[in-house]
Order: sequence, then structure tokens, then C-alpha cells
Amino acid sequence: MTAIGPQAQAQVAVPPRTRPLEGGSRLEFVLMHAAFLAIAAFFLAPFVWLFTAAFDAHAQAYIRWPEQLTLDNFVQIFDRYAFATALQNSVFVAVSTMVLTVCVVSLAGYSLSRIELRHKAWITYAILLLQTMPLSATMVPIYGLARELGLRNSYLGLILIHSAIELPFLVWLMKGFFDSVPRHLEEAAWLDGRTKFRALFEIVLPVARPGIAVAAGLSFLSAWAEVLMVLILVDQQGMKTIPLAFYETFRTAGGYTEVQYGLVAAMGVLYVLPVMAVFFATRRLMVRGLMSSTRGL
Amino acid sequence: MATVEYDDVWRQFVGQDRPAVAGLTLDIANGEFLVLLGPSGCGKTTALRMLAGLDHPDRGDIRVDGRSVVGLEPKDRDVALVFQSYALYPHMSVRDNIRYPLRVRGLGTADQERRVTRAAELLRIEHLLPRRPGQLSGGEQQRVALARAIVREPRVYLMDEPLSNLDAKLRTHTRTELKALQQQLGVTTIFVTHDQAEAMTMADRIAVLDAGHLQQLGAPDDVYQHPANLFVAQFIGSPPMNVLAAQRDDGALVLAGGWRVPMPRLRDTGAKTLTVGLRPEAISLADDGHPAEVLVSEPLGSEVIVNVKLGDALVKVRTGPDVRPHAGDRVRLRADPAGVRVFDRDTGVALA
Amino acid sequence: MWAFYTSFTNKALVGLDAARPRFVGLDNYQRLFSDPDFATVIFNSIVFVVGSAIVGQFVLGLLLAILLDHAERRRYRFASIAYAAVLLAWVNPTVIAAFLWVAMYDFFHGSLNTGLQALGSAPVDWLGQFPMLAVIVANIWRGTAFTMLIFLGALKTIPTDIYEAARVDGANAWRRFWDHTLPSLRPIAALALLSITMSTFGTFILIQTLTNGGPGIRTETIALYAFHEAFRSYAIGYGSTIAVVMLILNAAFAVLYLRWSRARA
Repeated sequence: MTAIGPQAQAQVAVPPRTRPLEGGSRLEFVLMHAAFLAIAAFFLAPFVWLFTAAFDAHAQAYIRWPEQLTLDNFVQIFDRYAFATALQNSVFVAVSTMVLTVCVVSLAGYSLSRIELRHKAWITYAILLLQTMPLSATMVPIYGLARELGLRNSYLGLILIHSAIELPFLVWLMKGFFDSVPRHLEEAAWLDGRTKFRALFEIVLPVARPGIAVAAGLSFLSAWAEVLMVLILVDQQGMKTIPLAFYETFRTAGGYTEVQYGLVAAMGVLYVLPVMAVFFATRRLMVRGLMSSTRGL
Repeated sequence: MATVEYDDVWRQFVGQDRPAVAGLTLDIANGEFLVLLGPSGCGKTTALRMLAGLDHPDRGDIRVDGRSVVGLEPKDRDVALVFQSYALYPHMSVRDNIRYPLRVRGLGTADQERRVTRAAELLRIEHLLPRRPGQLSGGEQQRVALARAIVREPRVYLMDEPLSNLDAKLRTHTRTELKALQQQLGVTTIFVTHDQAEAMTMADRIAVLDAGHLQQLGAPDDVYQHPANLFVAQFIGSPPMNVLAAQRDDGALVLAGGWRVPMPRLRDTGAKTLTVGLRPEAISLADDGHPAEVLVSEPLGSEVIVNVKLGDALVKVRTGPDVRPHAGDRVRLRADPAGVRVFDRDTGVALA
Repeated sequence: MWAFYTSFTNKALVGLDAARPRFVGLDNYQRLFSDPDFATVIFNSIVFVVGSAIVGQFVLGLLLAILLDHAERRRYRFASIAYAAVLLAWVNPTVIAAFLWVAMYDFFHGSLNTGLQALGSAPVDWLGQFPMLAVIVANIWRGTAFTMLIFLGALKTIPTDIYEAARVDGANAWRRFWDHTLPSLRPIAALALLSITMSTFGTFILIQTLTNGGPGIRTETIALYAFHEAFRSYAIGYGSTIAVVMLILNAAFAVLYLRWSRARA
């Protein structure tokens, strides 16, 4: 309608509230970056070794560029140390654990979220308490239990135990997710004539998908990394998972001091690749999820 | 007590394609209450922060009492800043909050106590001293922020939209209090706001900014009655000035719907088409005016704003409380010659 | 969940007996508490937890968090690499961490000793002469991310305005840190400490792989002791009693933790 002068142009967004702190001397810049360098070096050094030694024909325990690049280490672990079996077992157990856990945890979390119980707070409390148990303390009892039930050296045993480990925390996590799904979504579905079960499937689950993804990821990683339980549950060659394969190179080389570093590194590379892949892809989610569990190894 | 000068100050942020502050030159007198007014993003807060020392100009100089402060740490500039969020230290009591600047400077405890009590009395918050910021209401927090600024007895007070987080009623009340306080203390104050009513009621002088450029500097009356350009004309005043396209015709201006208004003496650019501004109170409903049709009347208690249709345009007219035309009524408009403002159609600069 | 439950009841059956099921009452507990080795084990556990969790992970995590938060406010880019590095050490399976540090500490060719030799000094038998230190450092490497994340979360909640107000009020960098950053961290520090203690308490694989509790029992913590007693000497019962002691201790911590965290929420 009217002509507005060039001064009153479209407005630029205000610089965001979280302004950077101004200032910072040159000295501070240098010092801080030196600190970051030191920190990064300290925390990354072992990984550097891992990835260089794996490809080294005569791998040493110290970090160095391989004098002879080779894939022989990888070949050897598959040929002589039955790494393939270990890999298969690890994958199978981890995936199965993930599937089982997600199913159980989703249902449990949903129930816990929706059901009205007088002592619900106590149950949540108890669940969290259970999660804080250090696995190393339960190793012995679980050994005994597994032996009695004949669960040793079996996939079933491994899967069950692995699922049980992260279960309390993940149930709590899923409950939280389901809590955030407003009830009237399901209520609308019920009014439309669906049964409770179908409503859950069609309406609630898709909404809680991020939570399920987190639970799946965490349970997979936890099972993948699990070694304590495998140690006590498995002593048959055919049932070993990757962590045990590590120990194998350890011992067969004879004495305590003789570790075949090349092989260990090769196994290590294959072992950590999935973890790193997931880590870099989902940095934020993982951090939040892992931070909430106080379990230690 | 000090004078403040901005001398051709420029500031552009990384990643922005326009400067935040462009060539700002401003002289602020001792004891003056100056308001930096403008819409969001116009650079007023940036200008303030540069004076405080939280940001630095890319070009230009800022002086306090004739001495440049660029390059000085905030604490060496002897200015106090009241943040929009108040920035009260949540883990300290109100008393400790107010005391903090004095404590940092190493003032003796007796001195500290004395000054804190005085500031608290001035702002009537003595009863709040032992509490924590989290326990206070918005208005109370604001007073504490003010007290913290006062207690230092600085040369300049800087205030970054301190009233915008208060609810409307409290805001108008605090406005007057703040102005009275400033007059009592007599300290040079620079006040940033986007609310033109606030600026009008509180300022000794207003500096209107838009997109980093100073649009006009002047006393409230000046800025209101004689806006330097269209932006200022439309930004100040509520309801805003009516702006219409006009054709020059033989000593008069023809507006939408054929309404002829007297043309004031112009800085002549020879242009045929101009932009004319008329404030709602510069138009009256008279018997011998130009006809127009009423769209709606907005009664405000003490006055009535009548919205009329004039050709394609919508014009707002301010009338007394008893005049209440209904939608569809035909009325007649008359313009007060003294209230006709003319602006260049392309640049928006005032021509009269 | 049920595994834990049944393990509790199970121990009542299995725990109080020897390899051949026999009910021996509280004999095992008596034996445990009068065992001189047990005292060493407890001592080791305490040293480890204090060294690794409190001195190491807590302090280092705090420092890292402060460093990273400050870097973020100042928009230093390089910080994210350090951040990712710390996280990487934590996110990967413990077995890896264990073996990586075996390589580091290796007497003849480990990275540390090779580095020392390059600098001209003699190699150190880390795992032989300084086992506790070695194990503590490895665990710090592994676990610092945890406390760092907790503190980082707390630090992020401090609005920049506060620091700016302090600056205008006249506080220099040190002052700002002392007067504003630290007090804001105080509430969460206790929780973080408790948390990391619980976490570190049960560390097993790392120590087992590096030193196997040795030399002798110099790094035998309570977790290792339970394992060794149960599986080496086939005394399942005895191992279970140790496990029970561990669980009780841990439960005590956990209750404390949960109570404090609920009080804060």
C-alpha cells in the first residue's frame, strides 16, 4: 500500500540468546588448544595402535606405522583361531538379545506406564535399584543358577542372561517413552472400535519408535560387549563369542607375557567396527542413553 | 555522571550479510535518559553491549567522558548493565547478589553494607534481602537487578529491555518509577527497548534505529511530530500514522478516494507522486469534509478510533468518546493542515 | 530381572555350602571375615575405587567438563575432537580397553616403554612394579567420560548472561569460576561421586586381563576375589558369600544414590 524507505528492510534474526563469551586472550587460545590436543592424544592413542597393528605383519605392542602392510592377521584369526565361529556367535546372540529385549521391554514399559498401581513408585524404585547391581557380583550366583538349570553352553542361556542384564534399565526407559505418549491417542483408537492390543500396535508403537530404536541399540551393544557372563557360561569351543576369542590368543601363545598383538589387533578392529559405526551415527542418542545406566564393568 | 559518545561505530557479525550496527554516531549528555528504540534486530542491544564492553566495535570509537573505552575490560569502564533476563546469581541470596560488585572490588564490609542498604531502601526491597532470586517474582527480580546496578554508583547505567519480561500493568507502573529514580540519581542512562510507548514516556531523547542505522535522534515530541522518515513515522505512535499515496495537484495533495488536503511547504523534489502521512488525531470528522464510509469503530473508553474506507485505503481517525459511528455510516473527513506530513515516495525521507 | 531375583534366593541354597551341597550355616561368612587375605582385598578395592573413581574420574571428568563447556562458549572448534575421543574410550567394550592397555603396558614393546626408551630412560615394569597404578590409569582412561557427561550437563544449564553480568560487575576469570561455576556444580557433585563410585566398584575384566589380581594379590579387588575363589578352588559356596557381601555393599550405595537423586528431582 505504501512505499517504505530502504532503511526499513526485512528484519534480520536477532543473534541467539546463547551468545559466545567475548574475549579470550591469545594465551588462553593456545593453552586450551594444547590441552585439547593432549586429551585427544591420551584418549585416542590406544585406538591408533589398534588400527595400525591390525595391518602389521610383525605387529608390535607399540604404535608405529606398519613396516609391512598386510591382511594376514585377519586371515589367521579366521583360519587358526576360529574367529568366524566367534563372530557368528556374537552376532547371533547380540541380535537375538536385541529382539527379545525389545519385545519384553516394550510390553513391560507399556504396562508399567498405563496401569494404575498403588505402589507404582516403589516398583520403579526397585527396578532402578536392580540396575545398579555390579555384574561381577552376580557372576557366581548366575553360574550356579545356570548350572542347575542346564543353561550353560547354550544359546538360550546366553540370550536369556544377556537380556536380563539391561532389562531393568530399558524397562524404565521405555516406560518413560510411553509416559510421554498422550493417552488420548489410544482412547481415540478404542472409541473407533479397536481392541487394546491392536491399538497398541498400530497407534502407540509407531509414536514410540525412537524409544524402541534406543532400546534396540543399547541392548545390542550391551550384548555385543558382554564378556563377564560369557566367561562363566561358556567353556565349549563352539559356543565362544568374540571376547573369549581374545583370550584365546592370549593363552595359546604360551606364557602370560606373550601376546600375539597382531592377531589381537585384528580381532579388535572387527570387534569395534560395529560399535564405532553406531557411535558416529547416533552420537547424541547414545550418550543420553548410556549415561543413565550406572552399571560398570 | 558522564557523557557518552558513539563515533561512527560499526559492527558486523561473522556469518551475517549485513552489519548489526552501521556508522552509529551519537552524543549523550551528562545525566540524560536516552532511549535506543527500534524493532528486533536493529542493533540497539549490540550498541549497548559495545558500550558495556561485552562486545567490541569493528570500526569507530566509543567514549565516556571524552576518553575512549574501546579495549577496556567491562570492569574498568565503570558502567553498570541491567540485563533483560536480570542475570541474577541463582545460588546467592539477594543481599549477596547486590553486594557482589562491591565485594569483587574489595570494598570494606562496612562500606558494602551501607551501600547495599541504601540501594535496597531506594528500591524498596529491604524485605527481600535474605531470599534467593528463585523465590522472587519477576518484578522483584527486576528491582534486585536494578539495585545491583545502582550500588556501584557507576558513571553510566545501561539497561537492556529490563521491562519486557514484566506483565503489562507492572510495566507501566515500573516505567514511571524508573524515570523518577533516574531523575533522583541524576546518572546518565542508556535504555534499550522496542516498545515505542515506553520510549515516549521515559526518554529525554530518543534514538530510533533500524537495521543498524540511526534513523532519528530527538526529544519525544520532536520524533513524534516531525519524524525524519517514514519508518520513524510508522514506528512511533499508536495507532500508527496513516500512510497514503498522494498525487500533487496544483498546490494541494490528492489522496486515495479523491480527498484533497492542503500541501505544506515542501523541500521540492519535483516528484508528482508522494507519500503522505496523517496521524489519527490529525483527522477529524466534520460536516464539511470529504466523504468516507465507516468500517468499524473501536471504543477505547477515553477515545474512539474510527476505521474508515477511503477509496482502497483504510484510514484510522481518532475522535472523542461520544462520537460513535456505526459500520456503514457515511462520515466526512477533514485534515488538520498542521498535521500533514509528506515523504518521498522512494526513499521515505521526510520532505515536510 | 528374574535372574537377579533368583540369584538372591539361590545363594541361600547354594551359597551356604561347599561344592557338595551341604548346609553349613554361617561358617562361610565367618571364614571370610577372618581371612587375612580378605582384609587386603578390601583394602585394594578401596584404593582402587578411591584412586580411579574419586581422584581420577571425578576430578578429571570435572576438569574436562569445565574445559569443554568453556570452549563451547568461546566457540573453539577443536574441542569436539577431544570430546569424541573421551567418549570413544567409554563406549567401546571393556575387553577392548583391557587389551589395548595390555599393549600399552607391555614391558618389552609397549607404547609407554618404547616412548620412555626413546627419551633415554629405562623401561618400567608397569604391571609388575606398579600394578595398582597401572590398573587405575587404565580405568580412568576408560571411565572418565561418565563424570564428564554429568558435569557437562550441569554446566550447560548456566546461562551465559550470568558470566557476562559477573564480568560487568568486575569479576575476572578466576573469580567467575570460583563464585559462579563451582557453586552451581555443588548439588550435582555429590551425586556424581556416588554414581561413579558405584560404577567403579564392580570393575572386573579390566583388572583381570591386565594383572589377574597380581602380582600376588596386590591388585585383587573384591570382584576378582569372588571370581577366583569360586572358580579356582571350586568353592562355589565361598564365592557366593563374597558375592553377597559385594551385593550388600553395593545396595547400600545404591539406596543412598536413589534417595539423594529423588530428593533433588
